[in-house]
Amino acid sequence: MKRLLALLALCLAPAALAADTIKIALTGPYSGGSAPMGVSARDGSKLAIAEINAAGGIDVGGKKLKIEIIERDDEAKNDRGALIAQELASMPDLSGVIGSVNTGVVMAGDKYFQEKGITKIICPAAGSKSMTQWATPDGPKQLSIFRFAAHDGIQAAMVVEEAINRKLLKVALIHDDTNYGVSGRDDLLAQIDKQGKKLQVLTVEKFKIGDKDMTAQLLKAKAMGAQAILIWGIGPELAAVSNGMAKIGLKVPLIGGWTLSMSNYIDNAGQNANGTLMPQTFIELPISPRAKAFIDAYHKAYGVTRIPSPVSAAQGYDAVLIFAAAVRQARSTDSLKIRDALEDLKEPVKGVIATWRKPYSKWDPANVETHEAFRREQVVMGMVMDGRVVFGSEADKQRLAKEQQ
Amino acid sequence: MPVSFIVQMAVSGALMGLVYALIAYGFQLTYATSKSLNFGQGELVMVSAFVTLSIMGTGLPYGVVVLLGLLFGAALGLVVERTGVRLALEQKSEGWILLTIIIGLFLFSFAENVWGRDDRPFPTPIPADPIHVLGVDVTGLELSVAAGVLAVMALVEAFKRLTLLGKAFEAVSADRDAGELMGISATRTVMLSYGLSGAVAALAGILVSPITTVGPTMASALVLKAFSVAAVALKKTGFGVVVVGLLLGALESLASFYVGSGWREAPGLLLRLLALAVRPTGVFGKAVIRKV
Repeated sequence: MKRLLALLALCLAPAALAADTIKIALTGPYSGGSAPMGVSARDGSKLAIAEINAAGGIDVGGKKLKIEIIERDDEAKNDRGALIAQELASMPDLSGVIGSVNTGVVMAGDKYFQEKGITKIICPAAGSKSMTQWATPDGPKQLSIFRFAAHDGIQAAMVVEEAINRKLLKVALIHDDTNYGVSGRDDLLAQIDKQGKKLQVLTVEKFKIGDKDMTAQLLKAKAMGAQAILIWGIGPELAAVSNGMAKIGLKVPLIGGWTLSMSNYIDNAGQNANGTLMPQTFIELPISPRAKAFIDAYHKAYGVTRIPSPVSAAQGYDAVLIFAAAVRQARSTDSLKIRDALEDLKEPVKGVIATWRKPYSKWDPANVETHEAFRREQVVMGMVMDGRVVFGSEADKQRLAKEQQ
Repeated sequence: MPVSFIVQMAVSGALMGLVYALIAYGFQLTYATSKSLNFGQGELVMVSAFVTLSIMGTGLPYGVVVLLGLLFGAALGLVVERTGVRLALEQKSEGWILLTIIIGLFLFSFAENVWGRDDRPFPTPIPADPIHVLGVDVTGLELSVAAGVLAVMALVEAFKRLTLLGKAFEAVSADRDAGELMGISATRTVMLSYGLSGAVAALAGILVSPITTVGPTMASALVLKAFSVAAVALKKTGFGVVVVGLLLGALESLASFYVGSGWREAPGLLLRLLALAVRPTGVFGKAVIRKV
């Protein structure tokens, strides 16, 4: 009998061992067109996890537990995302998930996390639909999905604001014909109305993924006397627009979504990218000791001199810190308890983007912002200058540097 | 609307059209001799561009790099001919359709795995700054595309007309069996045409890469348009594709301006429809009477 018990204990040992760690899954596109965002976010998250583990782990109810990482590449494919979500959701001792870039992947997979009560923080991106899908009258009363990204609404508001502030009142709107581009156009038009219709939209033009000659659209903007181009698109086509503007001598500011900070835009547009403006949650400049420490650690850990997507890396880092704070407060590795703690974080979390005070609150289907961490003040205008993104305004830089002291 | 704008758009569009024409020319070369074409032509363009980019990384001078790129394209064309086309032609089957598609898919995966899926810039010594010519802004890159396309087509056409090997090429194009009876090796001529076609594809890749950037999907949009150009032109010389390519490019640009940028593709589609309606014996037609 004793021997049987010993054997039983031996069998149970691995399970007992597993409970000695906090299991967090990192997911996202680590290959393919969205890889700069996915990889940077993952690497930023890993940096935070390494720091936490090096300090002995998280204090969970008097016992220090280390974080164990489970990593999955969704390749930006919806079906892969759904499979990974199913796999992760079926793990009995998973504490949470941090990741995702692509709206489609989120739409395909997040329902499994919600069903099983696995807390997920969407980071670094995904369109507005990823949250609004839950905000229906017959939607869940308790939501396990949180978002940690500057949503398109904030970005569109900032783009319109920037054009008004710079007194560029006649604008041309150009967007790609994907879901992302079309919803960006709608957000921009809605914001123009909301901010008092100060901007006059001369023309709305579109282009397809793969188009390289934007002369016709840009000439139209030039002929009508556009003072700025507002744009919503992705990567190489943005570069084609920027290069086309240089060709026909259309020297007006290009303002658009944060995709304008991606390396495949900056590299392919070269000198022509200088002066491009876009909302950013993080700028790769050592404006404060906290920012400097993060940037240096990232460069050293991954052997680079430029973070592929600084915004994603910083968001990945801060998301882990917030999650860790929730685990500490919940005094548990149970995902539902962590969710409740996230909705009511007592302690401020000193991140690299900002000091997060109560980033989330109790889920309210009538107000998606309850599960959104970013507000207008955490986002700044970035500007491309000689292959890097710098602050678009000195005031933002001073404000952030002061806040992080 | 000032006239200069219309001219500007037509010129910008037409210069892109020349790239369609060059890729279309690659289709035409092999179709002339063997009545077959490489459905993986777009992947040939893409892989050649990637290989050229890799060679450039070694620091060789630009001229040598381009030459090596063209040689690689020609070699790849020969590989396609040997593995995908020759046996099918010998058996008078249409197996080359599937085989060339398979080779294309293989090259696509190969490129994704070797060079990754990101779009990369393609450095070139040709300046991208705009030049003002007769009231129209063009970039040095666009001019280099035009010059390269026209030069290589003129060269190949001259070769076909002026050299003995070229005459053999023309003979096989006219009538494969009669050519064989005259002692011309049809197999060798088809090989030659695939080699040339590969080099033309490589040139298209090298010329267009500084504008489009290099990535696994760089040629997928181009090759469809090139195909419609080839289908419409359907002549044995390169000048037909040049005219159709220029027209299609200019039409796209103007349609984008006047009808709306969402309608940009419409002229190309209409062109394809028209080609099939008016000339149903297009590229795949078998209505040619074969004397037994």
